[in-house]
Formats: sequence, C-alpha cells, structure tokens
Amino acid sequence: MPRRRFWSVFPASAREATDAIVANLLLHAFPARMRVRSLAWTPSLWLGTVSWVLFVSLLVTGLPLMVFYIPSTREAYQSVKDIEHVVSFGWWLRAAHRIAAHAMVIAVTLHLARVFLTGAYRNAAEREQHREWNWVIGVSLLAATVLLSFTGYLLPWDQLAYWAVTTSMNIVASAPLVGRSIRSLLLGADEVGQSALMRFYVLHIVVLPIAVAALFAYHMWRIRKDGGLAHPSEAREHQDALVVETIPTVVIRVAVVTVATWLAVTVLAILIPSPLEEAANPLLTPNPAKAPWYFLWLQEIVADTTVRLGPFTINGALVGGVLLPVALLVVTTLWPWLDRSPASTAGVWMPRQRRTQLLVFGALAVLVVGLTVVGLLRGPSWHFFWPWQPWPDMPSRF
Amino acid sequence: MPKTRRAPEASTPGQMDRVALACLAVALAVATGWLVYGEASPEYAGYQRSLRESIRQRLGEAAAATTPTGIQQIWIAQAGDANRCVTCHAAATWRGFETAAEPLRTHPPDILRSHPVERFGCTPCHGGQGWAVDEARAHGRVAHWPEPLLDTPLADALIPGAGRRTLMELRCNVCHRYERETAGTPAINRAKRVLEQKGCRACHRVNGRGGLIGPDLEAIGDKNPEQYDFSRLAGRPSAFRWHGAHFQDPRALVADTVMPNFHFPPDEIRALTLLAMSWKRPAFVAAFSGDLPRSDPQPEEERRLVEEMGKGPGGWFVRTGCYTCHPVAVFGVKSPTPIGPDLSTAAEDTERRFSRPIDVFVRNPAGTMRAVFARQFMLSPAEKDEAIRQLRAAFAQYEALRAAGRNPLEPAK
Repeated sequence: MPRRRFWSVFPASAREATDAIVANLLLHAFPARMRVRSLAWTPSLWLGTVSWVLFVSLLVTGLPLMVFYIPSTREAYQSVKDIEHVVSFGWWLRAAHRIAAHAMVIAVTLHLARVFLTGAYRNAAEREQHREWNWVIGVSLLAATVLLSFTGYLLPWDQLAYWAVTTSMNIVASAPLVGRSIRSLLLGADEVGQSALMRFYVLHIVVLPIAVAALFAYHMWRIRKDGGLAHPSEAREHQDALVVETIPTVVIRVAVVTVATWLAVTVLAILIPSPLEEAANPLLTPNPAKAPWYFLWLQEIVADTTVRLGPFTINGALVGGVLLPVALLVVTTLWPWLDRSPASTAGVWMPRQRRTQLLVFGALAVLVVGLTVVGLLRGPSWHFFWPWQPWPDMPSRF
Repeated sequence: MPKTRRAPEASTPGQMDRVALACLAVALAVATGWLVYGEASPEYAGYQRSLRESIRQRLGEAAAATTPTGIQQIWIAQAGDANRCVTCHAAATWRGFETAAEPLRTHPPDILRSHPVERFGCTPCHGGQGWAVDEARAHGRVAHWPEPLLDTPLADALIPGAGRRTLMELRCNVCHRYERETAGTPAINRAKRVLEQKGCRACHRVNGRGGLIGPDLEAIGDKNPEQYDFSRLAGRPSAFRWHGAHFQDPRALVADTVMPNFHFPPDEIRALTLLAMSWKRPAFVAAFSGDLPRSDPQPEEERRLVEEMGKGPGGWFVRTGCYTCHPVAVFGVKSPTPIGPDLSTAAEDTERRFSRPIDVFVRNPAGTMRAVFARQFMLSPAEKDEAIRQLRAAFAQYEALRAAGRNPLEPAK
C-alpha cells in the first residue's frame, strides 16, 4: 500500500492510539485525543503554534549564521558583509532569520492579544486549573521574545544597530535608582562597545533561547494540565467532549501550520533584503536615529512627552521609556487577578460582560499601533513625512 | 479516564488539511527551488563563462582551463579590505581584450606595472564596494556605501566635460599627496600650484604646515557629509558639490567667513575641489606609499630667505609671523603669499580703512585681523605695544624714504 511508505501508524483502538503518542519522543507533548473545537481555527488562530515554528526556524537559520559571524567590534561588520555577499545562501539565511524574528514578535503579541480577547486565562472548570499562571508565563515569553530580537539587533554592528541600542540604553539609564546599574550590567560599560557586543551575543545565542525553550515547555505542560483551550462549558464537557485522535488529524493540522509558516518565511526572505548600513561610528549619529520598530511607539512618546511646567521638567525618557512600559507590563502580568468578569466568559471572543476592559484594550492597541506607524513615518530631524512625501536628499560624499 | 465521544467524520475539522498540506508542500518546494536556482546562477557566472569561451576560441582548451571560476578576491591586508571586483572583471590582466565591453576589458597595462593589482587591489584607486559581487552593490551606487565607483556617469554629474580620469585623480593623490608634481594627474598638479600661489597655508594647515585661522585641511576629504552645513547650497547635498560652491564664493555658503573670494576660473575650482577631497587618510596609505615622500617640508630656498629676513631691520615682523601675509617693503621683508596690505603704511592706513588709529586698531582689531588675532597670533598686551612701536617705526622709515625722494614701496634689492 503506497500510504504505508509515508505513514506507518494505524491504531486499531483508542488504547493503541494513546500508546503510539506516549511512545514517540516527538509526539508525546500532544494529548492522545484533542477536542474538536480546540482543533478549529477560530478559538486560537493557531498563533501559539506559529510562534513556536518561528522560534524553531530562528534556531535553524541562526546556527549556520553563528558559524560565520564574529562577535568582535573589529570584525562583526565585515563578517556580516561576507554573510551578505559571499557565503552560499548567506543573504537568505540572514533575511530569513530577520524576517522570522520580526514575525515572532508580531505572532507572540497577537497570541497574547487573542488570549486576552477570549479571556482564555480563566478557569471555567475550576478544578486543578491555573491558567492565570500560564498567562504570566506567556507574558514572560513575550518579554523574552522582544529581548531576543533586541539583542540580535546589535550584532551586525552597523549604524542602525549601534544607535538603536545606544538610544534604547540611554532610555533605560533614565529609570530612577536602578537605571544606570541596569545599563552598566547590559553594556559592561557606560557606552556600547566590545563588552556590550559580547554580552548581547551571549544573551542572544545562549541565555535567551534556553529561557524561551524552557518557558515554552512549561507553557505547553500547563496547557495540558489545565485541560486544553479554555471554553465556557469545559466543566460540563469534561465528561462528554467531542474529540478526534491526535494521529493523524492533529499531526496533519500542525504540519499545515508549520509548512505554511516556513513557506512564508522562505518567500519573504527572498523578496525582502536585509538592510546593512555603514559600519558603526560612535562619533556620528544617523539622522533619524530610530529604536527597533517594536519600541518606536515608546520612542514617539519619549519624543512627545518632554514637558516643562515652570521650574519642573517632566523627563520624556522617564515617562515614555520607563514608567509607562513598566506600568503596562505590571498591569498586563497581573490582569487575570484584576479581571472580575464571570468565569463563564472563558474562551469566548469579546463577550459583552467585559465590554469596558475590551474598549480600554482596544483604545490602547489603536494608540500603540498608531504611534508605531507615526514612528515608522518619521524622517530626518524627526519630522513627519506621509508615505507619498519623499524624504529630503541625505548628504553624501559625491 | 473521562468518557468522550469520537467526532463523526463529517463534523471533524481538518477535512481539507491533507489537500492544504499537499499544496503548501508543493509551494515550498517551488520556493526552495527558486532560491537554489538563484544561488546557483549568480551574475558573475555568465561573465566568467563568456571569458572562458573567448579564451578557448583564441588560445585553445588549455588556456581556457586557467580562467577563474567562482568568487575571486584580492585581500588588501593593510586595509582589512577584500576586493572581489576581479570576479567579474576577470579579463583585467589578460591581453587582447582592450576593446571588449566591460566587465571583460583589459586594464590599461602601464599603470598596473607600477601599481600591481595583486598588491593594490581595485577600490583604493577606483572606489566602490569591494565586498560585493553584484554590479549595483559592488559599484557602490547604493544607500549606505559612502565611496561610489568613480565612473563616467558620476564624473559627468560632478565635473561635466572633464571625464572619469580627472575625477579619479583625487584617488591618486590620496597616496601622492606630498609630491609637488605627479605624472598623470594634471588637475591635481594644477591645484597644488594654485595652493602655493594663493598662499592657502597662511590660514589653513595642509600637509603638516600652515595657519590656524581657517579649518585644518589635513583630512578634509574624510569629513563626514553629515557634518557640512548645506543650508545655503542649492540642489543635492554632497561634500564634493559643497567644496565646488565654496571655492566659487566662500561667503555664499558660510556667511561669517573671513576667507576671501579668489575668483578662481572654473577649471581651477574643479582642480581645487579634487585636491581637497583627496586629503583623506585611509588605512592603506602607509603600506602603499613605498618610496613616495611622506612629508611636505618648507622649501629650502624659502627657509633660507626667512632666516635672512629675520636678521634684518624687519626681523620682528618675520619672527612674529606677520610676513606670511604682509610684506614690509621699507624693511625688505617679503611675503611668500602677500594677500595682506604692505605694513609699511599700516600706521596711517588703519585710519583710512577702519577709522581707527593704529594703536586702537592693534588693541581692538576689525575685519580679517580680528580673526587673525583671535585664532592664530594671540599677542599679549606687551606684544601688542611692541607691534604698535614696530608699525610706527616702519611708517617713519616710509616717510623718511619718501622725503629723500625715493619710492619706499619699491621691492628691496
């Protein structure tokens, strides 16, 4: 039978199907059976799986890049030039790594938004469930993802990298009491240099990937312990759910998501070349000097909130760069305990009972996306340019 | 274990998943194939093939086998720079392609004899991005590469009518800067003569010698374009264009400058711009310079003249440095670059030109002398008193000579 050349497991009973899952190293993370509604597209949009596939593709493309990249301020830029110009598939590996990294920040953020909008941090069955804890793990996974992207931002050692990190670190240093210590810890100095490059490199290739992998394993394990995706009637359905066997239905669905994600990364990496500006020059600030795009909304606030009231100056970097993001992160982390809506809203998209918090969330989302777009459109001297307005000619040598 | 129900086939999600997976797999295979094909057929492979074919036809199979395949590079160790230009420009050192189209043309052989490509590479003379192996990026006409290839289109845009070779002279002078005269660089040689004639060193430091009134020009060619003020330059902001406009009329670009307008003719403006842009210090200069002079000392003749004048009656003007711009004819002091008025009559002249008697003028100068006293000759009050005495003495001598019926401003014999 030709089918058997590609697939060898055809369990005769539910017991055999369970055994097949448990006995397989790769599949044992899955349950033996899954609820039909969990498999559907609408409750989850499969964003968590997309995020994981992007993480694995970052490991796959990152490994060969590691072979060619030299984490030294003298050689980093040239090694990236070589990756870009002469290493076989080097330009594509770099582009795929970059695209997947940006996509992962987006996917994880959307995943968090989905969990919020469906109230999936609630425990409708209220038996041995701690989804609020998994929400906290999820928020730390988002933070780790952003840090992974940010530490990778410095590595090409070009003007874009150097000044994006310099700008961000100066904002960090404006935090009261601990700001300067955190900057010293991350940079190993007061400014971006060799020790900063080494610290960012080690964080990027060892510490943060291991942290994400460990947190992810914990995240998945908790999903299993919490009884899968949240649903208002999960308490009742515990006894009487409509299920499918993991083999083959779930495995094929996961394969569809995996291949679709990888295909998108492959094609986008071919179409969108990665920028590489001039070599880092500590004596010359590019105009405009922008933070990475996911921090642009904060940079926009920093630029707009330096307010002077009589003798007092409200420091924009402190408000936009420190107080606001920290407050937002704390509220987000604690949200499952702050949300007082009934447990029956678990797993329901935007229920009426949560209208106020949904509206506030929506307004914040519009604000963040809007400010990010404004930040993207900023040109020289932080002037605003519509997409159809050309930037003025930048000075050149010839 | 909880009781569960198997979903009936019809209501199971993922009925179409097998079809979707098959389609996605095919699409992924196509995309991967596209990527591999692109990587396996780079731009340079076509040039290398056609070179091999020409060599085969002319010289046979054995010679064709020696033509390069794949990426070729010249490693310029001193500059830490890779030049991969020869990957496409593979015929540069072959004879017989003198009239072929680029990139497969023979490089003019004479210049390569004194500048062997294995040692000097390509970008030190031509500009461009040696790291890249595709035309657009290798020729450096892309964002974020500051040194574009000095080719004909660029020359036509910057110095219309003069041509690519003239533009390239600026790169010759990066190493040849201390030579008075370099074969094959007529524009640069001309600019160097103008530099001496107009006495640019009176105000500017050039090749280790010169004044402090104007900016130090030692490495002006390395000055970053971002650091120029383009607010008064119409058109595309570029350092090259800025210097062109500035040589034409300094005050048009820098309102409060003390640099005079020398009314240079257009070809001198072009030559001076090339000279200024050539004053840069890339890493390879020391290694490439060989037997070239490494400094530009004051000519012996000039030094001896200064020594003699220093012993004469106008010695004070020489020792203090006034003579760099001002002659003092009555004392036989000559200026190598007489851009300032003769100081023999200054004691009377300041009254007429600045409405200030000489003692007031020296203590509180106006015009160019204000910049000169502020930046280069920072005289103490005692030195200023001495200056007033010396200037009055010069004028007294002037009056005495005139009373004796002689022309005091006649150059001393």
